Amino acid sequence: MTARDNTEVRLQGTYRTLLRVYPTHFRDAFGLDMEETFVDRLRQARAGSKFSLLTFLLLATFDAITNGTRERLNFQRSGAQMFHAMDVRYAFRLLRRSPFFTLLTVIVLSGGLGLSIFTFSFLHTAMLKPIPISNGERVVSVRVAIGTNSGPFDLADVASMRASIKAITDVGVYANRSIVVGTEEKPRVISATASQWDIFKFTRTSAALGRTFMAEDADVGAEPVIVLSYRVWKNVFGADSSVIGRKVMFNNASTRVVGVMPLGFGFPIASDAWVPLSNDALAANALGTGDVFVYGLLSRDATQQSAETQLTTLFKRARLHDQQAVTGEIARQIAEASALSRVTVESFPVAQMGEEGPLLFTVLNVLSGLILLLACINVTNLLLARSNERVQETAVRLALGASCSRLIMQSMWESVLLCVAGGVVATAIAAWGLDAINAWAHVNLEGNLAFWWVWRLDRSALIAAALFVTATIALLGIVVSGRATSLQFAAVLKEGGVRSSGKREGRIARVLVVSQVATVSIVMFFGLMSGIIAYRVVKVDLGFSTKNLLTTTVSLDDKKYANESSRSNFYRNTFNELAASPAISDVLFRSYMATIKEKAGEFELGNQRGIAGTKPRAYIQALFGSPSALGMTMRGGRAFDAHDDASGAPVAIISQALVDKYWPGESPIGRQINVARRDTTPEMRTIVGVVSNVMFGKPYSNDRSALAIYVPLLQTNERGAEFYFKYRDDLDAAGAVLHKSLHSNDATMLPPDVRSYDEITAKTSLIATSTAKLFGSCFLFAFLLAASGTYGLMARSIGQRTREIGLRRALGASNSVITRLLLKQGSRQLGIGVLISLPFMLLVGIGFWKLFPVGLFATIGSALFVATTIFAVVLLATYIPTRRAIRVELRDALRRE
Amino acid sequence: MPPSAHQVDEHLPLRPVEFEILLTLAHGERHGYAIIQEVSERSDGALQLETGTMYRALRRLVEAGLARPTARKQAEESEDERRRYYAITALGARVASAEATRMARLVAAARSARLLPNPSAS
Repeated sequence: MTARDNTEVRLQGTYRTLLRVYPTHFRDAFGLDMEETFVDRLRQARAGSKFSLLTFLLLATFDAITNGTRERLNFQRSGAQMFHAMDVRYAFRLLRRSPFFTLLTVIVLSGGLGLSIFTFSFLHTAMLKPIPISNGERVVSVRVAIGTNSGPFDLADVASMRASIKAITDVGVYANRSIVVGTEEKPRVISATASQWDIFKFTRTSAALGRTFMAEDADVGAEPVIVLSYRVWKNVFGADSSVIGRKVMFNNASTRVVGVMPLGFGFPIASDAWVPLSNDALAANALGTGDVFVYGLLSRDATQQSAETQLTTLFKRARLHDQQAVTGEIARQIAEASALSRVTVESFPVAQMGEEGPLLFTVLNVLSGLILLLACINVTNLLLARSNERVQETAVRLALGASCSRLIMQSMWESVLLCVAGGVVATAIAAWGLDAINAWAHVNLEGNLAFWWVWRLDRSALIAAALFVTATIALLGIVVSGRATSLQFAAVLKEGGVRSSGKREGRIARVLVVSQVATVSIVMFFGLMSGIIAYRVVKVDLGFSTKNLLTTTVSLDDKKYANESSRSNFYRNTFNELAASPAISDVLFRSYMATIKEKAGEFELGNQRGIAGTKPRAYIQALFGSPSALGMTMRGGRAFDAHDDASGAPVAIISQALVDKYWPGESPIGRQINVARRDTTPEMRTIVGVVSNVMFGKPYSNDRSALAIYVPLLQTNERGAEFYFKYRDDLDAAGAVLHKSLHSNDATMLPPDVRSYDEITAKTSLIATSTAKLFGSCFLFAFLLAASGTYGLMARSIGQRTREIGLRRALGASNSVITRLLLKQGSRQLGIGVLISLPFMLLVGIGFWKLFPVGLFATIGSALFVATTIFAVVLLATYIPTRRAIRVELRDALRRE
Repeated sequence: MPPSAHQVDEHLPLRPVEFEILLTLAHGERHGYAIIQEVSERSDGALQLETGTMYRALRRLVEAGLARPTARKQAEESEDERRRYYAITALGARVASAEATRMARLVAAARSARLLPNPSAS
């Protein structure tokens, strides 16, 4: 006799449960046989190893689920096809009979769905879609990161690493450059990319006109050549085909135009022109020759993580080599930077969006999902109200023998038709939105858009539409089918109305109101906080005047500028030439030596005042030139002058904020401050001046401070500086002066990228304002959905209680007592909804507080505003139908079904 | 009355699983687990029928009249447990035979196209 132990009995029971996936008729015919066969096979598996038992159980589960589902689908296909066709026609007729309901539902659904489809498609194109070049899905951007900031490699590091890189193939480098087109009298600055000559072979893109680069173009001493983007060819050269082969002045050098790239091509990001990097530069072996970004193809057998690990190791090895080639302080600096560095490997879209990209993607999709949820809650309410109208019809059908599944399918088809109609309209709305935003961006942000940012209704948008519609059908289907199956036809037929399911209806309505309150609280809070940020961005205070301000970064070659005097000469000569130009005013060279977050930012006061335990920190910067370029004015003492160089006494200027903190009401002039210089041991400096405050740190972050100490640039070993200067009338003329000046002081220096603060600020404001308007419209839509939805739910819920209210009145309850009772019940739902939303609102608040300069007051104020608004909406939504129910004649109320 | 050619043809070609089951039942009545075991043995373990796959195929065979369940009876290998056995019908036997003929024709065609070695040559 075969022994049946507990395990076997339990597993057989579990398998029996699993068999419920099969349709009933199949289970009736084969269920017992299948269980017996399962037991036979189980015994065989248990006789083997534990692994074979586990494999058997997993396979049996998978088999039951897949075959059960297929059998069920097969059954429904064969048996119910005819019924489905009838049900679709029936649902269609019902919807046609109620055009207002159909229209309202489709509008609400298409709003919610359209927003979700648009948001997903917009972000997908911006951040996830492979860039539109050959092997775009494997093209990666490689950068060096210290902490959260990533940046370019030094050419010398790339030259040293290149041969050993295995995780990435076809490695190439590029640098952003500004190129002055034309003569000194009529210059024009365009953004160009200095790249390896084979960049177009990498992208497998041919020129639309002329040719791309050839290997000879990168030879030392080769004729300078340039390839133009379609945009520059059209806008600067008037789409003149004869420009090919012509010599044009670029950066005051005669350069031959050899090709024009096709429309829409801008690799690596948004290039207007391409010039080849010389083989000489690519083979650089000294740090400081130039900074470059790296691109390549991720090997098929490598992941981004494995590539990052390999490249970080190679980078650190290259840095060790650099470190051994120098001595003293520079070697220490290299070692310090190398220890903190890592290499990041990301797709171009992800690298372009920065490290906040994934967070932004998630948050915006969740928000649009919440708005879709609001729309679904509203539609659910409408569908439930509609199913109440048909409750008697449904009960009769049940009584006549209609199966539950048939009733569910009939209810489902109505939702399916509405969702499909809503989905079609939503896809059209999303397509229109994507086209509109694409047109807007290409008009307003031309030249700043990554070349892959072309928004339109593409395959992924259509897939997203299908998924959102399916999810909505599923969500609505669950509620509607739940309603259909919960109907007790005996009670309905006996009582003849909706009273039979009143309690359940009330519970559903309460749950929907609570969900709506919670959802809209989160969405509104996020909307308000975004509005505050958008306002701050538009009114951004960089801490200095940005009018006519241009900036560029210059780094000096270690070999060429090996000592302090050569660097001083370069800074001094370039400064003098810029300052002498009539096209430029207020020249300032600045180098960030330390930020307030770094240990290098520590300082000591001569008299140790204010120091207890840890050393205080400040922004420490090296300056050369007029502080007024950054809007700083002297508050006391003097500015740096020509004597404040390496041979002069060590001096410093401090900000007013530092004075207020450590010498309130006193003059710090002549006092000593010990600054931890990055390039030498800390040294005591005499304070010679005080300047007005300038806020440093990221302009849109909380990490800002005006505590600053400035030292003369010529008393430091800084190997690079940011140049700030203001143009008087002509931006391009000022850019041309910079290039000429740099060229005359160092003919081999690669022309840097010049950025205009006016342009950056204007575009940032435009983006912020437009985003705020877009967000505002979405949140207004969400609020309207919530307000109308809450009203609809409360009105239906209270309307169903008209008879109960009548009874209470008949038993002597006054109107005010009834109103208070219903308001109290409404408040309870409000309270639960707000309680559910609180942790999420807190999360949103903390997120904003951490990332942006939003104070606690603004955060709490926004939360209170949201709570008050929702409170008013819910109470009003409860009060209006209550008043209506109370006004019903007592006699009518008691008769009301 | 024996099944007509037309009746046989409308079931052809059989799915591989269905043919395997009919082939097994052609030897006599079998219960589910025995069918799975025999199919596995015949294919040297290459074909392991899952329970669900086999019963769905059995359902199709029963509905098409190619196989039929018999009364429950004691399993040969177990004295105390009863199993439902399945048997091949007359139509099932004709269909299986027609399928085997069809396959034999395919094998012959493959041989003539030199896709298979000639048994006489080896």
